[in-house]
Amino acid sequence: MASPAARMDLGDIQGDILRAYGNDYDCTTYAFVTIECPPEQARAWFSGLLDHVTTAAPWSAGEKPLTTLNVSVTAAGLRALGVSDKVVDSFSREFREGMSSRAALLGDVGPSDPRSWDPGLGTGDAHVLLTINAQQTPDHQRALGKMRDAMDEAGGIRIVFQEDTELLPGSREHFGYADGFAQPAIEGSSDDKARGGGVPLKDGGWRPLAPGEFILGYPDEDTRVDPKRRLPNAPAAPLARSGTYMVWRKLYQDVALWRRVIRDAAKVYEGGDEHALSAKVVGRWANGAPLVKHPDEAPADFDPRTPGGNDFRYDKDIDGMRCPLGSHIRRSNPRDALGFEGHLSFRHRMIRRGMPYGTELPEGATADDGTDRGLVFVSFQGSISRQFEGVQVQWLNAGNIFGLGHDKDFLLGDPHGTGKMTIQGRPPFFLAPQEVFVRTRGGEYLFVPGMTALAALADGTAG
Amino acid sequence: MASSNVSGQAYAFMAMTPVMPGNEQPLAEYLRGLRGRGPSPLAKLPRTHLARFVIVPDFHHDPTWKQPKEDHLDLNYLIFTSNFDGGLDSYLDELCEQLAPEAKEIWGRCVGCPESARGAALKAYLKHNQIDTGMFFAAYGHATVGMVKKALREREQTIAFAIRAQGMDPETLQQAFLAEFGGAK
Amino acid sequence: MSAQTPSAGPITATGTEPRNNDGQAIAITVFSTIRPLRNLLAPIPGRVFLPVLFGLTRRLPDLTKELRQLSFIHFARWTVISRLPYNGPPQKKGRLRYQHMYFESNFNGGWEEYIDAFSHILAQGMTAFWGTSYGFPKPLPTAPFKQYIQSNETEADHYYSAYPDATSTMIQCALELDTRLTKLKQDAKRMDPDAFTVAYRTFLTDSQNAL
Repeated sequence: MASPAARMDLGDIQGDILRAYGNDYDCTTYAFVTIECPPEQARAWFSGLLDHVTTAAPWSAGEKPLTTLNVSVTAAGLRALGVSDKVVDSFSREFREGMSSRAALLGDVGPSDPRSWDPGLGTGDAHVLLTINAQQTPDHQRALGKMRDAMDEAGGIRIVFQEDTELLPGSREHFGYADGFAQPAIEGSSDDKARGGGVPLKDGGWRPLAPGEFILGYPDEDTRVDPKRRLPNAPAAPLARSGTYMVWRKLYQDVALWRRVIRDAAKVYEGGDEHALSAKVVGRWANGAPLVKHPDEAPADFDPRTPGGNDFRYDKDIDGMRCPLGSHIRRSNPRDALGFEGHLSFRHRMIRRGMPYGTELPEGATADDGTDRGLVFVSFQGSISRQFEGVQVQWLNAGNIFGLGHDKDFLLGDPHGTGKMTIQGRPPFFLAPQEVFVRTRGGEYLFVPGMTALAALADGTAG
Repeated sequence: MASSNVSGQAYAFMAMTPVMPGNEQPLAEYLRGLRGRGPSPLAKLPRTHLARFVIVPDFHHDPTWKQPKEDHLDLNYLIFTSNFDGGLDSYLDELCEQLAPEAKEIWGRCVGCPESARGAALKAYLKHNQIDTGMFFAAYGHATVGMVKKALREREQTIAFAIRAQGMDPETLQQAFLAEFGGAK
Repeated sequence: MSAQTPSAGPITATGTEPRNNDGQAIAITVFSTIRPLRNLLAPIPGRVFLPVLFGLTRRLPDLTKELRQLSFIHFARWTVISRLPYNGPPQKKGRLRYQHMYFESNFNGGWEEYIDAFSHILAQGMTAFWGTSYGFPKPLPTAPFKQYIQSNETEADHYYSAYPDATSTMIQCALELDTRLTKLKQDAKRMDPDAFTVAYRTFLTDSQNAL
């Protein structure tokens, strides 16, 4: 039987979704562009981008491009490109409403309120997002230069917000944790055998997820059990096929505050030192080793990318004594922890491709230096509401499904500053107060069209 | 009165009453406006765990369901369901007394409701329109509203104390506990 | 709600209409029409089956156990409406053409998650209860099942909870905590500090999943 990979049209899907470009690209620029000219003119500029867009087609040795380009659009962007209301209305409700209108639902309140967001984000002005990855700085500068020249030439197109990001040493994020390596295993992609990335099976094995959970126009997990083999709900043709929805969020991290709170709490924590306490909050040691497999100390040589590095589940840790029930990774991907063979969690997975931004706070510093630093969170999913919002609302900003009452993910923080985290133990430890460690500085919901769809947008035949 | 209405000490009551023609909109607006005007009137019935008012205009139909004939309600119907503590009669007595002002606006707009919309006459009307439950599931059917609220308060209190008490030496801990939860040694 | 609505997505944080919420509590109210006994083409005649099922379910703990395991339901009920009591004109006298099933639940979490749970986990129970209704698709795949529930759902006009901030799980935990706390209070009065510290730590260890 032909593998699903043979059936996925990789040349039609944009790159960096099914498979990450990889750590060779250590600079990424996110440029949000606003269109201030008529749709025809905008489409002329848009057409000029298409030849440079990188697809999911695999590269052979030596063919790796110096820079890559990917293009996504907001609902406002679709309209600015001249797409009819009828077609825009066929997109999901949350996409059309936009992230900033859903702030209350997402918990973007208090310090994360859209009124305090960085200028240009969440206002409806962001139309097209250009994501440029580059291996080295000169290539990066060249690509950015070309992008700006094309805009100047076109007229009526300008950048309304830009974030330049760069990998931190060791692929860590700003709280010091190795990040980004645990991704969903998708049928038909080269990682589909990756143990730990898919749906946990009763025999201890895993099966990959249906591609439609992440790429539109393909069967999803529901289609599997549908005798009529219906495809998931998707926008009107020709825009849906090979496309996906994208979530982009700029998250400021208050590293100094995090260090101070952990340092102070560790003084009364009986289970270990600051590293141990911090690992309990995250669910991993800083080098990525999962607590559930390594509860007492981090194995010195742990490499999360080795096969089996992501192969773990929580069935032997039902009471959270090894990895707390409310720890960040257990909340964001419960695996088998919700029981019922993963059936309450398997349809809430996301592909994550974010990047840290801003310079590091020097090691050991516990006073804020005023630098803007944090994480640009990027995810791809077939349904923003089921996958991204579901996790954000039910698993991160709430604790009921884990039996944790109103406790929120400690790592992100509580806008009211009154929360706590229970670190299970004999006896348990209560980590409080829950300060605001992460603040939303802006975000957008976007759609990433396939190549055919991009062409249709460019020549005005998208309907 | 069917035993299927009961689980533990909890009772599942349902009344379905026809709405007087012409009153559909005012009734809907009245019920929907209750939220904006302060606490729900149902708060006046402390034995009530969870309750709802739902106006049903008609049964749903869909040609794809291949239902041979359509079935229509002749009028809009008002459903009132309540999950409450203990016996039906005493609950209805309380309701017909405490909710008298609201009852006039609610059941007072329904066909056959006594003019006064209160007291024994209202109670008889509601019982006449009661529909027995088929199957009732109650997650904590043994617990009254009072027990639930007390337990929730104590849980909050325990959490706050547990956070505060971390790191206390034995003497301080015991004294603090007694101070918080009552009773000197 | 039309069956043609493209992926509508959650409207509130819980994914249901605003009037179905009171704090953490969510109401769902669903009506469906039951196939009659005389319809020989129907796989299961509901008129006879449902009352038997309800009776059986009260005696067989399985469905109840699964419902309890899901633990985000406060109260739920299924009721067959065979006739509507008569109250005089202008209400029409006469029988309903079909029996109708009324389902209501009071739960926490998201509407989508709730229906997913019913779809994936209570599939057998769902088929048992709704299999006798016209139009009921199977519980899996979830999309048509969710569509069916949405089409048959009515938004509450007024919804009330006596304890809107509490979830069902929290309540069950709190009730369990009560007994242990009572004992601890007694210990505090009679033990010496060292013994009490041990009792207190044991209490915390035993109760941590309720806190």
